[in-house]
Amino acid sequence: MSTAAPPQKAAPRRERSGGRLSNGAFALLLTAPGLALFAAIIIYPLLSALFTGFFKQDLRLPGREFVGLENFSYWLDGEFLTILKQTLIFTFGATLVPFVVGFALALALNSGLKGSGFLRGLFLFPWVIPGVVVSFLWMWIFNANYGVLNGVLMKAGIIEESISWLGQPGTAMLAVIVTKTWASFPWMMVMLLAGLQTVPKELHEAASMDGAGSIRRFFAVTWPQVRGVASIVLLLEFIWNFQHFDTIYVLTGGGPAGTTETFATAVYQTAFKGFDIGRATALGGLWMVLLLILVAVYLRITERKGDAR
Amino acid sequence: MTTSGITRRGALRMFGIGALGVAGAGALGACAPSGAGTSSGGDTKSKNFDFTSWSLNEEAAKPSIEKIIAAWEKAEGSKIRAVSYPYNEYLSQLTLKLGGGETTGAVHLDIAWLAAVAQMGKLADLGSVALKGGYTNVALDSGMYDGKQYGLPWNTGSIGVIANSSLLEKAGIKKHPTTVEEFEGALRELKGLGGGVVPYAAATKVAQLKDIFPWMQTFGCTLLEDSKVTIGDDASIDAVTWYKKLHDEKLIAADVDRFDARALFGQGKAAFYDDAIIGKGVTAAQSKDKTLADAMRPMKRPVLRAGDTPQALLWGGVIAIVKGKGQDAATEFALHTTTDRATTTEYFAARALPPSTTAGLSDPKVAQDTFTTEWTEKITDTATGSPFWQFAQNAQIEEAVAKQVQAVLVGTSKPKDAMKKAAEEVNDLIKR
Repeated sequence: MSTAAPPQKAAPRRERSGGRLSNGAFALLLTAPGLALFAAIIIYPLLSALFTGFFKQDLRLPGREFVGLENFSYWLDGEFLTILKQTLIFTFGATLVPFVVGFALALALNSGLKGSGFLRGLFLFPWVIPGVVVSFLWMWIFNANYGVLNGVLMKAGIIEESISWLGQPGTAMLAVIVTKTWASFPWMMVMLLAGLQTVPKELHEAASMDGAGSIRRFFAVTWPQVRGVASIVLLLEFIWNFQHFDTIYVLTGGGPAGTTETFATAVYQTAFKGFDIGRATALGGLWMVLLLILVAVYLRITERKGDAR
Repeated sequence: MTTSGITRRGALRMFGIGALGVAGAGALGACAPSGAGTSSGGDTKSKNFDFTSWSLNEEAAKPSIEKIIAAWEKAEGSKIRAVSYPYNEYLSQLTLKLGGGETTGAVHLDIAWLAAVAQMGKLADLGSVALKGGYTNVALDSGMYDGKQYGLPWNTGSIGVIANSSLLEKAGIKKHPTTVEEFEGALRELKGLGGGVVPYAAATKVAQLKDIFPWMQTFGCTLLEDSKVTIGDDASIDAVTWYKKLHDEKLIAADVDRFDARALFGQGKAAFYDDAIIGKGVTAAQSKDKTLADAMRPMKRPVLRAGDTPQALLWGGVIAIVKGKGQDAATEFALHTTTDRATTTEYFAARALPPSTTAGLSDPKVAQDTFTTEWTEKITDTATGSPFWQFAQNAQIEEAVAKQVQAVLVGTSKPKDAMKKAAEEVNDLIKR
């Protein structure tokens, strides 16, 4: 008689992957060196700088003294609001003006204008010149005593005496915004042109057949299609301008009498001209908080776009 | 549960590579400048060293300094690395590099900056070397801070007013104005010439608005008295009010620093401007008008009342030595450059900068130079150092006052308020 052994219940197989990692752990592993580097070269110096804001410290001399919130209150009770106001004037001006110029040119180039390829290349020219060089060029243009602009305006009989464009509070900020506009509009133009080229021609044709004029077509067809690109371009440019340094520093150094001083120039002047690293990092900390708000808005917008897709 | 297909061993290997990367970055960080310290380290006996000077950034000065460097390199078989930053950026750049241990060798310093740099503790005491130089006492003093000789004096002079005698003649001005009132009158005459003439190319940009100090002193402000800041007194307010008047009447121009002033003067568009004695060489060299050099005349700064002492600011350059690499050779180079008779005379011929040694000053080429002797009599003889030079924060003090004066010029502040604020800021800086 043969007896069949009762079928043995298979032992439950251990849920193990033979030393293999889960996708989550793998992803963490891949990012770990990057995160570690990020922590070493960004987070640590950042925290260290924020920490320095609580000390009285001269950049040139060893040693420092804990002063609590004194450096922060120095700014908040003093120039903070003035610097914020000037930074915002510069940021709004240097964002909106090149946006309008860039959008107008993008629309013109997208309209099938003859020679648009050549013009597109030509308009990109200011963008490829380093910012400092652009600033020096415009510094010579705006120079009060031997600048090109005064020369042209005087020859044309528009002004009788030279104007100190960079030496007067009213015109200095304007000059800085004009210079930054010249350097920034090509980038905005290219981005907006790319957006415009994705608008289906059929939509325009249909709108035309419905009797829409060019202005109506712009608001009903073009703008809704490029609004996404435009908002990203505006926000990025706003964030960059909020941190912008070289144009202002080269043209006016924050003057005259501090009327073009922004967070970027004030931090630089305090740290590297005044050698007061404690106050400089305190202002940098306050500035960073404001920047974080802008970055949060940017992330919110881009996430919303991602969700919409 | 999905898996990635990577083993623990493989993962560990990758993690190890990552850790090495981080360690590498850490090592780089460790190599980075460590901030202020006391010594730059390195081989003090090295024949090769750096020479840092703002003059190497200026077209008019560069060839003559390069010549000195080349001659030294040839004679000593060594290599000197020339480093330069523009004058207006020099102190901050130098301070950062010095603090980070990147600046070694010989360093050219404006005498106004000596205290700020010496306090970093990186400069060698050159007391024993200076004794060998045969320097004048005034020159030696300009290289001293806190009782130690940190700089070997290269040139000693002053900052004063230079006049264009051709333009004065055109405006019918026969003699240099001696009082503030006469000066104002002369400026109005010059303005009448038209053609975009800026009668007095005075500094109106922050970088050189420290030029207001001698005018404040002219009006009777002492700037600092027994450790008490006197900026903000009636005399300083009067001086700034007067400066504002010149600005509003366009007798001085907006947006002018030393370099703009030299350009305007060089173009024959300015009749007066403030400069060091070096200005003659620099301005004449960059001017297309070859007769300008002869038309340039040093002028006593006008005084408030006849009989007052004309005010001028001492100015000069010293060569300091950074402790560490190439220290010995750099010291010898500095001594040679500042004292060798042939070198100083040739340098004077090229740049019109008088030497700082008794022997150098007695050289016929120097002693018989009309402009130099006139300059010494009219300007250097009554020149004084700034009372703020003793403070490490001198540059910030000058800037704080300059910003307030500029605020008055552009109309964003009243002279009284601006000077009160300037005094507060200077007091705060001195205490810090």
